[in-house]
Amino acid sequence: MSLIAEDIRVRFGRRDALGGVSLTARPGEVTAIVGPNGSGKSTLLGALAGTLPFSGRVRLNGRAIGAMKPWELAAERAVLPQSCQLAFPFTVIEVVRIGLQAGTAGDRAEVPMQALARVGLAHCADRPFQDLSGGEAQRVMLARVLAQVWNPVQDGRPRWLLLDEPVSSLDIAHQLQVMEIARDFARAGGGVVTVMHDLNLTALFCDRVAVLAGGRRLALGRPGDVLCDEILSRAYGCTMRVSAPPLGGVPYVLPHSACL
Amino acid sequence: MAVMTEIGAPPRDRLSRARALHWALAAALVLAGLVSLEIGAADVRFSTILARLARGEALGQMERIVLFDIRLPRLALGILVGAALAVSGATMQGLFRNPLADPGIVGVGAGAGLGAILAIVLGAFLPVWAVALAGNQLVPVAAFLGGWGSTLLLYRVSTRRGQTSVATMLLAGIALGALAGALSGILVYLADDRQLRDLTFWGLGSLAGASWAKVMAAGPLIVIAMVAAMTLGRGLNALALGEATAAQVGVDVQRMKSVAILAVAAATGAAVAVSGGIGFIGMVVPHLLRIASGPDHRALLPNAALLGAILLVLADVVARLVIAPAELPIGIVTAVMGAPVFLWILLRRRGITIA
Repeated sequence: MSLIAEDIRVRFGRRDALGGVSLTARPGEVTAIVGPNGSGKSTLLGALAGTLPFSGRVRLNGRAIGAMKPWELAAERAVLPQSCQLAFPFTVIEVVRIGLQAGTAGDRAEVPMQALARVGLAHCADRPFQDLSGGEAQRVMLARVLAQVWNPVQDGRPRWLLLDEPVSSLDIAHQLQVMEIARDFARAGGGVVTVMHDLNLTALFCDRVAVLAGGRRLALGRPGDVLCDEILSRAYGCTMRVSAPPLGGVPYVLPHSACL
Repeated sequence: MAVMTEIGAPPRDRLSRARALHWALAAALVLAGLVSLEIGAADVRFSTILARLARGEALGQMERIVLFDIRLPRLALGILVGAALAVSGATMQGLFRNPLADPGIVGVGAGAGLGAILAIVLGAFLPVWAVALAGNQLVPVAAFLGGWGSTLLLYRVSTRRGQTSVATMLLAGIALGALAGALSGILVYLADDRQLRDLTFWGLGSLAGASWAKVMAAGPLIVIAMVAAMTLGRGLNALALGEATAAQVGVDVQRMKSVAILAVAAATGAAVAVSGGIGFIGMVVPHLLRIASGPDHRALLPNAALLGAILLVLADVVARLVIAPAELPIGIVTAVMGAPVFLWILLRRRGITIA
């Protein structure tokens, strides 16, 4: 009952976007994918989601995703895209309800409103989606994704959230809120895989980290082991120094301690 | 963290309101139908006929012909064609994720027209058994194939990686329309006098030649296309978020796109085959409905069928009245109503993403 990717290769034209990456994400954990721009983070997430054509194997809760119908996949995993353009003037609550399309058992009519309350936007239910700010729109999309897999465990099987930079356009309070939602989902038995840019949020909220660079996996492990000077400097191509804040032993990275 | 804030009043339910609109529109369609039966070039009034029937009097031959052979088939054809055009428009807009997509504007109508002209002109060269087999379905089926080919081509040209470029779509539509027009022009040279007359009447875009034969020719294709289109509501809603997201919420996107393209081609083809090029219904009707009751395709598609039928039946009444006893081609009436709405949409959507 895990999300297992083996030897994933993706080509865009002549370029190898991913050159054989393996990753195992376990339910109950938040697994982060980090790395510099163009390292293949979103591509790997797209392969895990079954959105991109790839070679290699991805197994979701024990089944090869290539053999699953779109609605079977939709019942077990939901995907938050980096950005989303809405074509018609739907209201916020109508957009969240689209998350119920999969029609999975146990999802009820009140779920969209609860999902919207979870991201703190219940008061915006009747507003046109196209009038929202970028950050609000991103949270509404998260609510839609939550509505799709509202129960982290369904019929004894974990469900999965695949998030592509879920905090990219959020202020600091909402970054924390969204990461807490992801962590709560995992603590309740679901699985979360998320592409991250902010290494400190990654260290705070994620249980495992995969570091990608140049379409390959440099490291996979607990944040305390992986987020270290050597690996990060190699991945990002600049000298990085990881420090520990006074609290706990959580590593953190300051931009001003980095140099080219 | 104040995450679980007040849920407050339940959100507005536009879908129920849109579904309630079905009944209002159905009633309006009945009224429009009565008006259409009442008014015409001949001095035969449906209300008088009803009154005489109620008194148990027999109808004169003139009344019977006007009512049963002229006005009723014309009404039936108007309802079929109006519904077909509006549902094609709504489906195509959902598929292209853009409110400006309309089979008439983006060249699908022209492609269907080319198919119809091919059938009219080259039908004479077909072996007798083939014509007998196809019967009066020959022209509608040829128009359907023409419309299908042009919709597929248009979609291929304007869609990359699941994103449709509006500019490419509109420009490709112009090119397709010009090409289909040129090929149609060549065929006109090949046509004999009788075919030429057929082509001229047909090209004006009119319900004037309505007959039960035409209703039977277009009806089956249009009804099948309508039924198919009505199953697309959920899928088109999800597609509003993009192809990738639609697939992620469980829609079989490839299958849905194939059904949508076939339905648009069948409905547009059959409508064009029997009534020529009638523009703007497919764009105006869904647009008005989105303003009135929201963009949810589950209600939009059936409402579009009803409102499309109403508008075309009324446009036909106008076409018959303005220069009575002569008639205006109905395509002129719908263009006069529709073109300003098209411009209005463009003005309201200045921020439209063209790239």
